[in-house]
Amino acid sequence: MARVSAGGGASPGTSLSVAVRGHARGQSWYQTPTARRYLFGYTLLAPAMLYVGLLVGLPFLFSLYLAMSDASVGSPVASFVGLENFRAALESSTFYVALRNTLVFTIGAGILKGLLGTTLAFLLIQPFKGRKVVRALIVIPFTLPIAVSVLGWKWMFDSQFSVLNWALSRLHLIGGYGSPDWPIWLGQPGLALLSVMFVNVWRGFPFGAIVLMAGMTSVPPEIIEAAKVDGASFMQRFSKVIVPMIAPILFIGSAFDTVFTLSDLSIVYLLTNGGPDGATEILPTLAYNTGIKAGALGRGAAISLFLFPLLLPAIVLLLRTLRRRQL
Amino acid sequence: MAVVALAVPRTHRQKEIRRHALIYLGLTPFLLLAVFPLFWMAVTAIKQEADLYRMDVVPFWFHLPPTWKNFDFLFHRTFYGDWILNTMSISFFVSAITLVTAVPAGYALARLRLPFAENMGIGIFMTYLVPAIILFIPLARVVSTLGLQDEWWSLVVVYPTFTIPFCTWLLMGFFKTVPFEIEEAAMLDGCGQMGALLRVVLPVSIPGVITSVIFSFTLSMQDFLYALAFVSISDQKPVPLGVATELIRGDVYFWGSLMAGALLVGVPVAIVYNLFLDRFISGITGAAIK
Repeated sequence: MARVSAGGGASPGTSLSVAVRGHARGQSWYQTPTARRYLFGYTLLAPAMLYVGLLVGLPFLFSLYLAMSDASVGSPVASFVGLENFRAALESSTFYVALRNTLVFTIGAGILKGLLGTTLAFLLIQPFKGRKVVRALIVIPFTLPIAVSVLGWKWMFDSQFSVLNWALSRLHLIGGYGSPDWPIWLGQPGLALLSVMFVNVWRGFPFGAIVLMAGMTSVPPEIIEAAKVDGASFMQRFSKVIVPMIAPILFIGSAFDTVFTLSDLSIVYLLTNGGPDGATEILPTLAYNTGIKAGALGRGAAISLFLFPLLLPAIVLLLRTLRRRQL
Repeated sequence: MAVVALAVPRTHRQKEIRRHALIYLGLTPFLLLAVFPLFWMAVTAIKQEADLYRMDVVPFWFHLPPTWKNFDFLFHRTFYGDWILNTMSISFFVSAITLVTAVPAGYALARLRLPFAENMGIGIFMTYLVPAIILFIPLARVVSTLGLQDEWWSLVVVYPTFTIPFCTWLLMGFFKTVPFEIEEAAMLDGCGQMGALLRVVLPVSIPGVITSVIFSFTLSMQDFLYALAFVSISDQKPVPLGVATELIRGDVYFWGSLMAGALLVGVPVAIVYNLFLDRFISGITGAAIK
């Protein structure tokens, strides 16, 4: 406690006596060390708060307003149209396709990332020679800027010169170029959705593994030993000891991944731009194409706001985990 | 007895070898998955055009000598030089804005025992999770009101919306680890609170400050959506956007130069990010992991 009062009473010119707490005789409230510290603190905090408030908070509110207006890129004056944009979205079949694809994409890719990430984490947590090098190589997909690696995949999914098809063909798993079973990854509806999901999984699985490993190394080995001594099997140790202990980190990791997957536009935009025939259209691409490309800002804002209820569970989960951790 | 004594270490070694073999076997598919695309991009970037579009030979290696032609093309026939300059300038200014705002904010939240400091910290961090896809339409209006549409300056204004929350959170963690005693000693020696921050706390937090700069750079270079939405003039684009949009003419993809342009910026970013990955993970998981 001495630390607290000494830190508080240390403004220049103020007596440093530890007894000074709150009001000293003859001082106005704003001259007390505590008040000065608060003033100093909030002054330091102001620039960041203002920046984030003005460019995240206000725009968010502004997007609610835009979504209820007929604003467009061409006409600067917008009029209030109520929930018209939301109604229009709910009445168009493209919206439902995009919503369905978004859910399939996020959930499907999430499950795959979880499975691959867990397997990888269990392999990487073992002590073995060359572990650091292997780890550095395996996180490459996550560390490459997303637009960069998606371009690489676009080339690997090329309709004719796909290196994947070349390999499959040489292994006699598919026929030659032009034969009916030659897959056109980004051109066939089902395959296209699988392909964009695959690229998301490819980018995300190292992240899952690293988060899981960070969690597992934070579990003290004595606890696992104690469980072993008590006769807990491997699966029991995993589900009864490790998982509960690393749950907060798992929540945070999956919340982040969900937010980034739901809101990421670059994979779909660069690989298929929603095609063929809307087979890979997701809410982010629909919002971009409606709001910016077609210039219907109000419509676009309304579509992107439909993402919010989908994001909310992840954000709430994260918030609760972080707050519990502070206590 | 001697036989047994010899046999024990050997079986132990055999066990170790078998264990390693199993681990490597399990890791091979993951390694292939992670590394092959990068390898394939690199090979594509330095192949000759005629070598690229052949289906009759094994494509993984060169059948004509490798060439730097694609890089040459990038720098002489496209705006690639400008894009690099734009990316560097954007990242520089974004880092500057981030440091000027996040260092004081992180310090105030971590050390001044302000009321609601924890909640405000979490609040700022949560804004990192408000995705670009919700903000880009209203921000398009902000950008055009500022008269910055189509210029890379618009991205300097916008990128701090995610770098400030992330770096404030990161720096909060760093400042919490600086012992209070150092600061007290400085203030006893006559430094004010500000003096203690600038002369004592900041110098010992240099690793945190450097980490913040690194993340301002790498997070800025990871963006695609804002650049796509706000910048459409060719010589104003940052590298990821320029490569993805300007090296395609109609339906024709210049794969060699596309891969060259993507890797030239992607590889350095990946290396730096790789080195700081643990910081990133402990940053987002609440700095609870040592």
